[in-house]
Amino acid sequence: MNHKKQINMMLNGKQISAEIEPRRHLVDFLREDLGLKGPHLGCEQGACGACTVRVNGQIVRGCLYLAVQADGATVETVEGLTEQGVLSDLQEAFLRHNALQCGFCTSGMLLAAAELIEHQPKSNREQVREWISGNYCRCTGYHSIVDAIMEVLEARADGRQVKPVTTS
Amino acid sequence: MKAAAFDYVKAKNLVEALALLSEHGEDARLIAGGQTLLATLNLRLSEPSILIDITAVSELKGISVRGNMLRIGALVTHTEIESSDLIAQHAPLLKEAAPHIAHRAIRNLGTWGGSLAYGDPAAEWPACSLALDAIMIIQGPNGVRKVNAKDFFIDLYTTTLQADEILVASEIPLASSNQEHSFQELARRHGDYAAVGLAALIRTDKGKVQTCRLAFFSVAAIPTMASKAQAFIEGKSIDAALIQQAVNLAREEIETLADITNSQETKTHLLGVLLERALTKMMP
Amino acid sequence: MELSGEQLIAASVNKVWLGLNDVSTLHASIPGCEEIERISDEEVRAKVMFKIGPVRARFTGKLFLSDIVPEVSCSMAFEGTGGAAGFAKGKAKVELYGTEDGTLVRYSTEASIGGKLGQIGGRLINASAKKIADDFFQAFAKQLGGELIVLSDTKLEDKKE
Repeated sequence: MNHKKQINMMLNGKQISAEIEPRRHLVDFLREDLGLKGPHLGCEQGACGACTVRVNGQIVRGCLYLAVQADGATVETVEGLTEQGVLSDLQEAFLRHNALQCGFCTSGMLLAAAELIEHQPKSNREQVREWISGNYCRCTGYHSIVDAIMEVLEARADGRQVKPVTTS
Repeated sequence: MKAAAFDYVKAKNLVEALALLSEHGEDARLIAGGQTLLATLNLRLSEPSILIDITAVSELKGISVRGNMLRIGALVTHTEIESSDLIAQHAPLLKEAAPHIAHRAIRNLGTWGGSLAYGDPAAEWPACSLALDAIMIIQGPNGVRKVNAKDFFIDLYTTTLQADEILVASEIPLASSNQEHSFQELARRHGDYAAVGLAALIRTDKGKVQTCRLAFFSVAAIPTMASKAQAFIEGKSIDAALIQQAVNLAREEIETLADITNSQETKTHLLGVLLERALTKMMP
Repeated sequence: MELSGEQLIAASVNKVWLGLNDVSTLHASIPGCEEIERISDEEVRAKVMFKIGPVRARFTGKLFLSDIVPEVSCSMAFEGTGGAAGFAKGKAKVELYGTEDGTLVRYSTEASIGGKLGQIGGRLINASAKKIADDFFQAFAKQLGGELIVLSDTKLEDKKE
């Protein structure tokens, strides 16, 4: 039974083509076929958020999205967004606040946080907690992640730059 | 786990979607947001031979005002409802309910029509559609038909949608100036399916309630209206004494169904708690 | 999971008994029944598509009849597998009583569901078992040309497995 389909998409700023089985999830396509290991697989049920990627400018669960559905779409992973714009600020803040240990949830957390900062820049701590409740972390206990996101929100609200983490 | 293999076709319009559905029958599943379907396929609790992608079907898209009704297309996502100015103005109950649905990434893809078609008794939109007197617009090979929300959800996960039909949109009467609403949901963690929930709506005239809608979710096999409590409240003003009586009535009339996390008794207790909160909020 | 109930069917005991033992009547009555075959007087094999919400699980199973007292009662043991979805096993007792208005069918079932459906489907299974039983009797009564006069609500009990 060969149902393979031809798909084209803009991935991390580059136009790509592939032939894949319809049942292939977007996250498996990114990880296994393209070697982009940024997004991770946790539950494959949409609950844990480790597979979060961005499609057409919004976060989605890579495990609840078929690669064939991304035909004609713009797809971004942490690899494509790293060290630019809001992600750059978040990465500095995450480092400063120790908001990651094993790093498994981090790519998903960063992308979720980025969407929050973009759409709800006036969020308070409670709202941040509610927003990231769709991303599970087994290491940090979440407070440091919330601290990091609050730092970026507050800096932007004040028109400040987020300080880079210095290694001294 | 990975889904079993299937074929995939993207319908260009409603006519094609219906034709594909008729052609493949039981072997096909429709995919819109896919947030329930793909989770099901991942566990291999369903193994269709083909998915019919309806996300390009323009007849199912958009939010618009038509006369004195608000039309919500089946493909409208939960996020779109959350951020829509038309919804905020004409169906603010939905704006209040939307953030309770799962999490942002799921809301970005999940759809109004998908939630209604599955008719999960613990979901938000089925109960909201009851509270809002929504009308479902359904299209099949024999044409279009309209069904009131109160006749749409007939049994556990069962709506009046036939296997060869597609839910196209819902129409909701525009919110009037004398309308108040309250949305209440109790869940163990934010984003979980509700332990108990309530979509409540009243229309008042000179301090007295004219119309009362109390649609509970996650209490029974279908979203359930507390019709005796509603009838009791209509024609009266809301005060503390009325609230207590309404709570007792609702607890008596609704035959609750236990689920994995809560017993019948807990559900009965909690539905009264939510009703009290909702009526207190809507009290003048 | 235990399920018990009573249904009053406006048809004679003889007709109801024959109907319960006739594979083509059963085929038309069992919700989602795709195939059904009588292997012997005591054994029936069937393929049923269990449909609830997003779940579509095809169960292949066997039914073994015993303690057969014609037009009065019988016991059955059943087992089925639904592939990746899980498996089901159980037993049931069916009793027929003649009344003025027709035949009273009294049934009681004990079933255990294992595998994925059993783990995640607690709420699903209980509520849908009742629905399946109700749907079966509606269809069965129609097949016999009689009416279904429901007496008492099907009773459900969930035993933790």
